[in-house]
Amino acid sequence: MDRGLGATRRTALSRLGGAAERGYALADRIGAHGAFLATLAVLVVVFYYPVGTVLFTAFTESGRVSLAPLWATLTDPFYFGVLAGALADPAGAPAAVRGWIDAGFPAVRTGLFGWTAYLAVLGTGAAVLVGLPGAYVLARYEFPGRETVRSLTVVPFVLPAIMVAVGFTTMFGTSGALNDVLGLVGLHVNVAFSVPLVVAALTFYNAPLVTRFVVAAADTVDARAVETARTLGAPRWRAFRDVVAPQLLPSFLAAVLLVFVFDFMAFPIVLALGGLRLATVEVWIYSLAGDLRLGEAASLAVLETAITLALTYAYLRYERTEGAARAARIERVPLVGPPTAGRLLAAGYALVALVLYVGPLASMVLESLTRGGHLSAANYAFLLAQQLGTGGTQPTVAVRNSLLFAAGAVALAVPMGVSIAAITNRDGRLARVGGALLMAPLAVSGVVTGIGLLQALVFGVDLFGWHLAVTGPVAIVAAHAVGGYPFVVRNVAPLLARANRDLAAAARTLGAGPARAFRDVTLPFVAPGVVAGAAFAFAISVGEFNATIVLARDPGWYTMPVALERYLSNPSVGPYLGPAAAMGTVLLAVTAASFVVVERLGGRWEP
Amino acid sequence: MIELDGVEKVYGDATALRGVDLTVQDGEFFTLVGPSGCGKTTTLRAIAGLESLDAGTIRFDGADVTGRPPEDRNVGVVFQEYALFPTMTVRENVAYGLQFDPPEGSVESRVDDLLELVDLAGLGDRSPSELSGGQRQRVALARALAPEPDVLLLDEPLSALDARLRDRLRLEIKRIQRELGLATVYVTHDQAEALAVSDRLAVVNDGRIEQVGDPEAVYENPGTRFVAEFLGENNCLDGRAGAGGETEGSRVRVGDATFAVSGEHDGDVTLCVRPESLYVNASQNRFVARVTDVEFLGEAYRVHFDWNGRRVLARLDHAPEGDVELGFDPAAATVLD
Repeated sequence: MDRGLGATRRTALSRLGGAAERGYALADRIGAHGAFLATLAVLVVVFYYPVGTVLFTAFTESGRVSLAPLWATLTDPFYFGVLAGALADPAGAPAAVRGWIDAGFPAVRTGLFGWTAYLAVLGTGAAVLVGLPGAYVLARYEFPGRETVRSLTVVPFVLPAIMVAVGFTTMFGTSGALNDVLGLVGLHVNVAFSVPLVVAALTFYNAPLVTRFVVAAADTVDARAVETARTLGAPRWRAFRDVVAPQLLPSFLAAVLLVFVFDFMAFPIVLALGGLRLATVEVWIYSLAGDLRLGEAASLAVLETAITLALTYAYLRYERTEGAARAARIERVPLVGPPTAGRLLAAGYALVALVLYVGPLASMVLESLTRGGHLSAANYAFLLAQQLGTGGTQPTVAVRNSLLFAAGAVALAVPMGVSIAAITNRDGRLARVGGALLMAPLAVSGVVTGIGLLQALVFGVDLFGWHLAVTGPVAIVAAHAVGGYPFVVRNVAPLLARANRDLAAAARTLGAGPARAFRDVTLPFVAPGVVAGAAFAFAISVGEFNATIVLARDPGWYTMPVALERYLSNPSVGPYLGPAAAMGTVLLAVTAASFVVVERLGGRWEP
Repeated sequence: MIELDGVEKVYGDATALRGVDLTVQDGEFFTLVGPSGCGKTTTLRAIAGLESLDAGTIRFDGADVTGRPPEDRNVGVVFQEYALFPTMTVRENVAYGLQFDPPEGSVESRVDDLLELVDLAGLGDRSPSELSGGQRQRVALARALAPEPDVLLLDEPLSALDARLRDRLRLEIKRIQRELGLATVYVTHDQAEALAVSDRLAVVNDGRIEQVGDPEAVYENPGTRFVAEFLGENNCLDGRAGAGGETEGSRVRVGDATFAVSGEHDGDVTLCVRPESLYVNASQNRFVARVTDVEFLGEAYRVHFDWNGRRVLARLDHAPEGDVELGFDPAAATVLD
C-alpha cells in the first residue's frame, strides 16, 4: 500500500491547483446546505417578509394587533354578500333564510368573493368542457403531428395573459376579426367587457391544463390492466369505467383544483377584458392598493390567500407522483378513417381549437400588421419610434426592460431552484420543510406579492436607525425570480431523482470533493432540466404582469406586458389596437422561442 | 488491512448496523453475505466513507480514517448498478479518477491498460448507454481500479446480470483481484456466490455479523441457526439433548425419534442436517417420512418429505415414492445449543 505516497501527491496537486481548487474547497465548506440557506434568505427578503407584512397589516389596527379589520371585511356585504350578514348576526340567519324562502327565492347578493368564485366556477367548467374532449382526442387517436399538438398545449400556459387579452380583443372585440367576418352577413356582436369574453379567455388559458393532466395520466394506464378486464368479460365501456377512469380521476381532480385556483387569482385577463365592472377579488386588491388603501387590500389579501392556499394544499394531495413503472401503452387508433362518433368529435374539436386558440393569436398578429385596413409596418415603426403622448410609455424601453429583468430573474432563479431541488431530493426533515416552503409562492397571488414588495422593500424599512429600501428594478427582478424558481425546481428535481445517488458517490470515491462531484457528474446529468427551467423562468419573467404592474410605478421601468396594458387602457394611443398588437406579437415571439428551447429539452411545464 | 471496530449506524428510528467488528487482510477476498436489508451494503459504504458512523472506528493499515471523506480514502468502488457517468464516454469514465491522482506514465496509456485488463480495448469512445450490462460492469471495475486503490469495494456487482454471464464475470473479477493482490470487500445476497468466490466470508444479519470464517468452515460448522439455514439448504429441527449412554457423543430427541450425534450436548438444541447428508438405507439415525414433492435438478433430485408434520428436504439420486426410510451419520449433523 502506498497511502503515504498518494497523500503526498494529492497535497502537491492541491497546492498547484490554484484558484479553481480553492473555489471548490470553498464550495465544499459552504455545501448544499449553505446554498439552500442562501436561497431561503433570498426568499425571506423578497417573499416571506413582504407577504408577511401584508398579512400583518391585516391584523393590526392603529398599531395594535387586532382582528377587527379582518372581521370588518368578513361582515361587509360588499365582499361577502348575504354571508356577511349571517356572520355579523348569526342569530338572525334562520329568520333571514325563512324570509328568503317566503319571498320566493329572490336573487341573493353574493358579494365580491361570491362573484369571484362564480367566475372561477364558470372558467373551470369551461376549461373542463373544452379540455376533456381534447384529452380524449389526444389519448385515443394517432395522427401525424400528434406529438406537436400535444406539445403546443403547453404554450398558452406561458403566454403573457395581457397578450392573450389583446388577442381576444382583436378577435372578438367590437371591431375585431369575428365581427369583420360576421359583418359580411350583416351581423354584429358586442362582447367587449362581458362575462363570456372573460370566461373564453380564461378557458384559452386553462383548458390545455386539463388536457395535459388527463393525457399524461392516460399515458400511464397499463394496457394489460384493460386487457385483463376484457378477458374477464367486461365490455369496452365497462373496462374504461372500471379500470381507466379511476386512474384518470386523481389527475383530473388535480387539474380542476389547479384551474380553479388560477381562475380565482386571474388578474390581467379580468382587468383588461372585464375592467372594474367585472372586478374580482384580485382586481379589487390591485385597485385598493392603487388608491393606497393598503389596510383594506391586506384584509382581502389574507382572505384570498387563505382560500388559494387551502386549494393548493388539496391540489398537492391529488398530484400524481413521478416514476410509475413503464406500462404497456394502450394502442391508439388512426384519426383518419370511416366516420365514428369519436372522429366527428375530433373534427368538431379542431374547429373549436381553431376559433379559440388560433383565432386570437392570428388576429393579433394580423392586427399588428395592418393600419387602416392595409398591410403596414406602421405599428412596429411606432414601437421603434420611442415617442408617445401623455403616459410616456416608451416601447423600446419596455422591450429592453423585459429582456434585462428576464436575464436577471433567470440568473437568480436558477441557483435558487437548483439548490432547493438538491436539498429536497434528499430524505429527512429539511427536505420536507423545503418542499413545503417551495410551494407557498405558487399559492400566493402576484398582486399580493407585489403589494408586499412595494410596502416592505420599495417604501423601505427602518432598521437600527438605517433606512433600507430596495428600488424598483431590483424588486421587480426579485419578484420575477420568485415566480420562476419553482419551475426550475420542477424541471431539475425529477432528473436529480433519477440521478442515482451512487453517481456522485462514485465520483467521491475516485477522489472528487463534494462540489467537484456535483459539477462533474450531477450537473451535466441535470443540465437539460436546468436549461429548461431557465427558459421557463425567462418566459415567466417576460410575461409577468401582476407583481410588475404594482412595482413599476415609474414608466421608466415598464415591461412589455405593462406597456401593453397601458396601450389598451390609454385612448391617447389612438383608436388602434395596432401598437398593442405589435407589442403582443413581440411578446409572442419571445415566449415562443422559450417554448422551443424547453420542448427540445423535454422540460416539464406543469407547475 | 481494514479494521472495523464497533461500527454502528442509525437511520431515523431504524438501526442499520449494531456494532460491526471486522478485519480484512491485505490481498484477501472478503465477502459480506446476508439477506436484503441486513446492513451489508451500509457496511461497505461505511468503509468507503459514504456513510457517517454513529459509533465505532474504521482503520486502514492502523490509521484511523473514520471521519475522512471518501475522496481521501483511496478506495475503489463498483456500485450495484455501476453508476457510470452517463455524460462521459467509457474512456472519460475510466480516466476520471486519474485527474486527482495522476499515474506515473500518461493517462492515455493507463486507461488503455485498464481497458485491456477488463477486455474492453477499442470500446473507449462509446457512451455507457451503448454498452451491454456485462460491458458496463467491466467499465465500472476498470474505473474503480484506475487510481490504484488500496481497497476494492464491490457492491452486488453481478446482480444485474444473467446467470451465465454472472458465473464468467465472477471468475474474471477474482482473477483480476488476485493479479493485483488487492484487499477486496464483496457484498452479495447470493450465498452460492459468496461460497464460490471468498477467501473468507462474514454472514450478516439484522445489522450484526453472525459468523466469520472461510467458506468451508462456516458451511460445515454454522454457529447459529440463521447461518445454518442461510448458507446452503438445511433441515433444522428443534429437539432435546442428553448424554449418549454407552456410546460416545450425545443423543437428541426430536418428536418421538432419538438421534445419535457427536459431541457433548445438553438441554434444548437445534439439530441441523444438510439435505445431501440424508440418504436411504442408512445404518443409523433412521426415520420414516412421506414424499410430498419431487423436483428434478439434472444432477440429482430434490425431494420434499413430510415427517410427522415437519418438513424435511433431501437431495437423492433417484425419485422415491410413498413412505421412505431416511437416515444420516452422527458426524454429519450439526447441533446448535
